[in-house]
Amino acid sequence: MARLNRFGWCAQVGLALSLAIGPARADVVAVVSAKSLVTTLTKAQLTDIFLGKANRFPNGTPAVPIDQTEGSVARNEFYEKVAGKSAAQIKAFWSKIIFTGRGQPPKEVADSLEMKKRISENPSTIGYIEQNLVDDSVKVVLQ
Amino acid sequence: MQSQITRSRTSRASFTLYALCLAAILWYPDTAGADSEDAVASMFSFSGFGTLGVVHSSEDQADFSANIFQANGAGYTRQWSPDVDSRIGAQVVATVSAKLSAVLQIVSEQNFDGTYWPHVEWANIQYHFTPDFSVRLGRSILPGFLFSDTRLVGYTYPWVRPPVELYSLIPVDANDGIDILYHLQVGDLVDRIQGNFGYSNSQVPNNRGTSRGRNSWGFTNTAEYGPVTLLLSFQASHLTDTASDPFFDAFRQFGPQGIAIANQYDNDDKLIEIEDVGASYDSGRWLVVSEWSHANTHSFLGDQTAWYGSSGYRLGKFMPYLTYAEVRAIGNSNPGLNLMGLPPGAAEFGAGLNAGLNTLLEAIADQKTVSAGTRWDFAKNVDLKLQVDHTRLGAGSSGTLINVQPGFIPGGTVNLFSAAIDFVW
Repeated sequence: MARLNRFGWCAQVGLALSLAIGPARADVVAVVSAKSLVTTLTKAQLTDIFLGKANRFPNGTPAVPIDQTEGSVARNEFYEKVAGKSAAQIKAFWSKIIFTGRGQPPKEVADSLEMKKRISENPSTIGYIEQNLVDDSVKVVLQ
Repeated sequence: MQSQITRSRTSRASFTLYALCLAAILWYPDTAGADSEDAVASMFSFSGFGTLGVVHSSEDQADFSANIFQANGAGYTRQWSPDVDSRIGAQVVATVSAKLSAVLQIVSEQNFDGTYWPHVEWANIQYHFTPDFSVRLGRSILPGFLFSDTRLVGYTYPWVRPPVELYSLIPVDANDGIDILYHLQVGDLVDRIQGNFGYSNSQVPNNRGTSRGRNSWGFTNTAEYGPVTLLLSFQASHLTDTASDPFFDAFRQFGPQGIAIANQYDNDDKLIEIEDVGASYDSGRWLVVSEWSHANTHSFLGDQTAWYGSSGYRLGKFMPYLTYAEVRAIGNSNPGLNLMGLPPGAAEFGAGLNAGLNTLLEAIADQKTVSAGTRWDFAKNVDLKLQVDHTRLGAGSSGTLINVQPGFIPGGTVNLFSAAIDFVW
């Protein structure tokens, strides 16, 4: 019985670890419009903007974050990298805001190409795309 | 007979709730975030939440309940109770402009009378004078504790429920009135100040009528710095619950000493004051939360302090956690009327009143609990939680238990097992 339990425990920890490591990752970087005056941002500043705690960039201009769809690889990687949080933790965070009527999460776009297009058009917006999609219409603010 | 009818109605109602929850899970697999919305549709945001929970208690002479406004729970009424944690809520937010929005949230959970009739949890209109300064008018839930305003949304916290030792301190619920929010950003420090004023009407179980809070006011300051959150809150209200008036009026017939006891313990326009200090550290991997609160009701509802500490560690989709919580009653007995020299009839009546008073005071919760459990985010927007609680009741106390039966022995221990599935959409 004890051995069985230990086996069950090992299997669970193994499962948990494999889920934590997850699939191979593409490099996701945070970007603003090439027209934006913002140059670099820290992880903490990005976290505050994407979690709705800050509505301005450090230089005082308005900040409008854009998300990719729930469950997308880019989105999950971005939040793990910047905030150290899983998709479920981010969802839990927004549920706390939504169900107290204090706000709504960022608007979503379908993929990185659409995100790049939206961001290049509006200097207030900020988002994230795969590094290999970066061109001169956007500016990387966190590698 | 009466209670049997109530019970069968309750179980039918909870079955209906389960069916609704399941329908909701099946119905909303992936519709959120649909892209093509026209302007009118995007003005409204629909969302919802729910919990399917079941609790088992080792104590069969009293009920465990997570909420002082519920009629029954696990233990005496049912060995395995779905009524402690199960609920479903739906919300619509109308964003008229960047400045004006409105929220309506309806929740169905076990009510004071054992039914599941839905009630309005939130209903207010919010106006942003500036992006950082807004006023809400209508009904909102007071943010007096770290998790009080989202205590119904299980998906937002790691446990099956926030520790009952601290979260059952508040004898009021929603606030109908006005609240003012100010948001301040200094570097990486984000600060939110909230002031509220209003009133409340809460239905109390066992036909004890309505508990009315009047001239309720308070303020809460929430400071966030990276993974650290610090909350300071003060809430005050004037509470009246007339159900106990006849009992205390009987004391008043004993002259000055009876009047003094009645004035000390009755619940007629009594000032209640609640202070809270809460702190949490949430790095994404480690979660450490602790909260302390003191609530003085200036009545037989008691003067209590409570605190808890909890920590969890994220392992992929699992978050195992440990919690210690305690609540202490300050003064849960009173010598009562001095019966010396009274005529035998009056002395006998007075002794009965003294015993009644001490029964009321023993019901002021005093207990300690150690909890262990895990959250498992097994699917998108759905979690499963398992939790065990070991509670030691204070000497002579029935703790936070309700529906205490004559066979109940105060001051013992109670073990709970809870399982819950939380979801949001």
